[in-house]
Amino acid sequence: MGSLAVSSEQAFHNLYREHRSWLEQWLSRRMGNGWDAADLSQDAFMRVLAGSQSISELQEPRAYLKTIGKRLLINLYKRRSLEQAYVDALAQLPQACAPSPEERWLVLETLQALDELLDGLPHVVRRAFLLSQLEGLGYRDIAERLGVSERSVKRYMVQAYEHCLLVELC
Amino acid sequence: MLNREISDDTRRVARAAARWLALLESGQASERDHLALQRWRDVHASHEQAWQKIQALRSRFGGLPAELAMASLDRPDQGRRRMLKGMLGFAALAPAAWLVSRELPIDAWRADLATRVGERQRLTLADGSVLDINTDSALNFDAGARRLTLLRGEVALKVAGSAPFVIETSQGRATLGAGEVCVRQQGDSCQFSVLGGSLQLQASAYQTQVLQAGQRVTLRAGRIQSTQSFDTAALGWRDGVLMANDQPLGDFLRELDRYRPGILRWSPALESLRVTGSFRLADTDQILDLLAASLPVEVHKRTRYWVTLVPREKTA
Repeated sequence: MGSLAVSSEQAFHNLYREHRSWLEQWLSRRMGNGWDAADLSQDAFMRVLAGSQSISELQEPRAYLKTIGKRLLINLYKRRSLEQAYVDALAQLPQACAPSPEERWLVLETLQALDELLDGLPHVVRRAFLLSQLEGLGYRDIAERLGVSERSVKRYMVQAYEHCLLVELC
Repeated sequence: MLNREISDDTRRVARAAARWLALLESGQASERDHLALQRWRDVHASHEQAWQKIQALRSRFGGLPAELAMASLDRPDQGRRRMLKGMLGFAALAPAAWLVSRELPIDAWRADLATRVGERQRLTLADGSVLDINTDSALNFDAGARRLTLLRGEVALKVAGSAPFVIETSQGRATLGAGEVCVRQQGDSCQFSVLGGSLQLQASAYQTQVLQAGQRVTLRAGRIQSTQSFDTAALGWRDGVLMANDQPLGDFLRELDRYRPGILRWSPALESLRVTGSFRLADTDQILDLLAASLPVEVHKRTRYWVTLVPREKTA
């Protein structure tokens, strides 16, 4: 309210002007690739803009940007590692079973969305869930496969369903 | 990622729905359980909504090729751990080759000259000859020996002076005196379009042919497949322009795709829409915007490098 207050739009412009090239360099050093870094740094500022944090009240803008940058790096890494696993799996398929290029994209797109959906679940929970959804295994078979009790499988499934539902509901 | 605050109520409902579903799936649900579930769903709209959502969730996994999906989603996560600890090994994780280009970049290593996706280059030689290199191309070029080997992509060569140029491709070789030709090598086929002068063509399978200005030949498997006339306007790329004259949108987008890094996809329903216009290649994002403005299509940009075109939905 006071005369010293800077409009949030102005604060964002200042933040962008003062730290954009620094953030780009910081990302570039971690990625070894300026092209992706420029893209990611734009994303980071978009996040800042969309976020709830008041920009003019930031004490350590670079620490804040770094946190966002790290998160974006991790997301990118996950997407790339999924792509890699997918490409490897495709290569294993006999020629006759390989999907068309168009299908490959559609499947990859879906996988990426599901990978994000499942993000944050413990590995064993994720695996139990996938065995049930993708391979259609019953809880008893999953329990056998994972070497745990059926009760545990049920607990894992509740955890996975709840997690996904919360992502969807929010 | 859960950005917004989740109310305790939402959590409770989600948990309950998850428990119901797991109970049903475990095969241990009794008749009473089924009735109780029905009551739970009826008691509040939010319960029924959660139940519908959780059912829909299951169908999202249903249509996937199980083997591929399992291998991808259940990949070993050592890489992830290492990444989280020290951000190591990031440079090694370039996008998969076929994400950026449909061909492996091996031939680019042998090349003297190469352009990236979306890049164009023009070289002018001492004798006034001009070489234009289009997007995503690779070639060996020896100005002294007047020899050009096109490994991938597209070039246009305007030869000045009397000494002829030899152009080699995987499908055949051509000799051009004073004149102008455009050569495009894509996959297992190769195209020579003569713009000026005359071109002597020798296909790998020892067929020969002399082409005059305005003629285009397609070679495949080392053989001459077809000879036809062509519209010189289609070579607008040298001036940074993509031209379309009542062209099917599918063909237009396949051309555009050559100039855009990343993924460009479109719904098959759009293939046969018609496009007319000349578009500046310097800004392919703008081309997409123009398409959206002039045709019943919607452009979804997931990221700058992942764009999907779909039919625009009719608003009631």
